[in-house]
Amino acid sequence: MAEPAIRMRGVVKRFGGFTALDGIDLDVARGERLVLCGPSGSGKSTLIRCINRLDVHDEGMIVVEGVELGDEDAAIRAVRREVGMVFQSFNLFPHLTVLENCALPRMRARGTPRAEAEALAREQLSRLRVADQAAKYPDALSGGQKQRVAIARALCIEPRIMLFDEPTSALDPEMVGEVLEAMVMLAEGGMTMICVTHEMGFARRVADRVVFMEGGRIIEQAPPERFFSAPAAAQTRRFLGQVLGR
Amino acid sequence: MARAPAPALPPPPAASGLAWLRRRLFATWFDAIVTVLAGAALVWLLAALIDWAFLDAVWSAEMRERCRETAGACWAVIEARGRLILFGLYPHEAHWRSTLACLIVVATMVLSCLPAFWGMARLAGLWLAGFGGFVLMMHGGLFGLPVVTTEQWGGLSLTVFIFAAVVVLGMPMAVVLALARRARLPVVAGLAALIIDTVRGLPLLTILFAAAVVAPLALPDWAQGDKLGRVIVAFAVFYAAYQAEIIRAGLQSIPPGQEEAALALGMPWRSVVFDILLPQAFRNTLPATINQVVITFKETSIVTIIGFFEVTASASAAIGRGEWGAYYVEVYVFVALIYFVFVFGLSRYGAWLERRMRLIRG
Ligand SMILES: Nc1ncnc2c1ncn2[C@@H]1O[C@H](COP(=O)(O)OP(=O)(O)OP(=O)(O)O)[C@@H](O)[C@H]1O
Ligand SMILES: [Mg+2]
Repeated sequence: MAEPAIRMRGVVKRFGGFTALDGIDLDVARGERLVLCGPSGSGKSTLIRCINRLDVHDEGMIVVEGVELGDEDAAIRAVRREVGMVFQSFNLFPHLTVLENCALPRMRARGTPRAEAEALAREQLSRLRVADQAAKYPDALSGGQKQRVAIARALCIEPRIMLFDEPTSALDPEMVGEVLEAMVMLAEGGMTMICVTHEMGFARRVADRVVFMEGGRIIEQAPPERFFSAPAAAQTRRFLGQVLGR
Repeated sequence: MARAPAPALPPPPAASGLAWLRRRLFATWFDAIVTVLAGAALVWLLAALIDWAFLDAVWSAEMRERCRETAGACWAVIEARGRLILFGLYPHEAHWRSTLACLIVVATMVLSCLPAFWGMARLAGLWLAGFGGFVLMMHGGLFGLPVVTTEQWGGLSLTVFIFAAVVVLGMPMAVVLALARRARLPVVAGLAALIIDTVRGLPLLTILFAAAVVAPLALPDWAQGDKLGRVIVAFAVFYAAYQAEIIRAGLQSIPPGQEEAALALGMPWRSVVFDILLPQAFRNTLPATINQVVITFKETSIVTIIGFFEVTASASAAIGRGEWGAYYVEVYVFVALIYFVFVFGLSRYGAWLERRMRLIRG
């Protein structure tokens, strides 16, 4: 079997005395689209934040694209260049224009000259249909535009894996569609993706596998058809009942 | 459910100048009396000031005899003593060098205020050149310029130089202290906090006095340097302690998502700090920073106490000599005007920066 894009073994993460991740074993294959769901506080954000070491795991092993995450700074940055992340709250840099938001990280992360980085940025911005916003500052954009710029910014680094942490939760309902559409486009392009989302329609349509977490553990994982039609665990059924309103 | 919009209210009546006056100044009898009295006092004050400063003033030193007779200002003292005020003890025949040095520093300050020069390398280069030019002009010793030691430096160029050097040295120190204070290593953070709190706990005068007088006793010869140099470094540390807290407040006001996003994009720590965090921290604390810089400019006058003839000290010296002793008001007004020009310039610049940033933030 080919080396997976992400391999997690026995990953434990504690905040003080509280165990947020309690022995996570998870492999994500190259090109796989994973949807991660679970009740609030179940550790979904913590799990994906451990993958690019925004959170530091206490026990176990995480290997991303063949690089094991440890204390070594070079390894951490190498992993971060392979892993793009999109946040619920966009986190665009307010003091930079949309174009600079996309070009500057590329220049600093990969040492790309400015002209080349800007060309790349324009390319990604037009892929996400926000090319006409390039000269604006983020405050002037709508929520949906901000999130698409954030996706473009992450793609400028040319990552092999994309992590999404509830990318549509902070959006007005009418803007959810345009962001999901962008994520579908990425998925169809063969990107390895882990999406934390409560958009079950998206999960059905795009996911190869749905992973359900509760209390810092993975309770159940299955392809979407089976996950939604025949969930095995009682917790999953309860959760689905709440999200799908059944 | 659709609701019809409420009918529009009639527009407020256009305020004519007269109506405005009546409403604001003459609404009641009491208001009217206060307005008239305050207006009269204002006119009288203004007239007296104009009489004193212009109409009854004596302008030329040749007519100094008339100073005793007139009730107006004796600006003649500025003509007679102006050089002493502006140049202190700097040798008379080399005053042009002091003037040029002062202009060099002012030009460097103005240039570094322009966005075109905002960049580590550019600012560093600019200030190296600026200070190099200043020291060459003031100190001499090269290109046939006779040496003038720092004990003889004085007046406005000394004030401007101390101010610029303190801010330019102090700002990077402040950044380092602010970053160190939020470092993950407790030793580093604790040390930075200790330095900041200690320096802020001491009066500036004590610190400068220690640098000027006590340091030579404590330091080995090779580390003593020049008295002016020691005083500037000590002053810069003092400024840095306050500025560091301003920067730290600015850093704290940035949502943690900014740093996380930058790290997640694979940006190196240095770039996260200098490209993402510090620019936002400075933006968020611009008024406080300008305030601190203005305070520092005014505080430069304190170096008088340890024997430097900056502009207020040389002004005192100018009136201290018998014949012009009576005209200290004129001299201090003149010095105040000099300070005002600089401080007003600084605060206008601050206002311009804030406006520019508001535009950027949409
Ligand atoms: N920095 C932190 N310090 C202390 N506790 C934390 C921290 N971050 C997360 N936690 C705790 O860890 C647990 C898991 O948090 P996490 O954010 O991963 O949950 P989540 O599944 O993403 O929830 P949500 O759906 O609300 O985003 C929560 O109980 C949370 O309170
Ligand atoms: Mg979360």
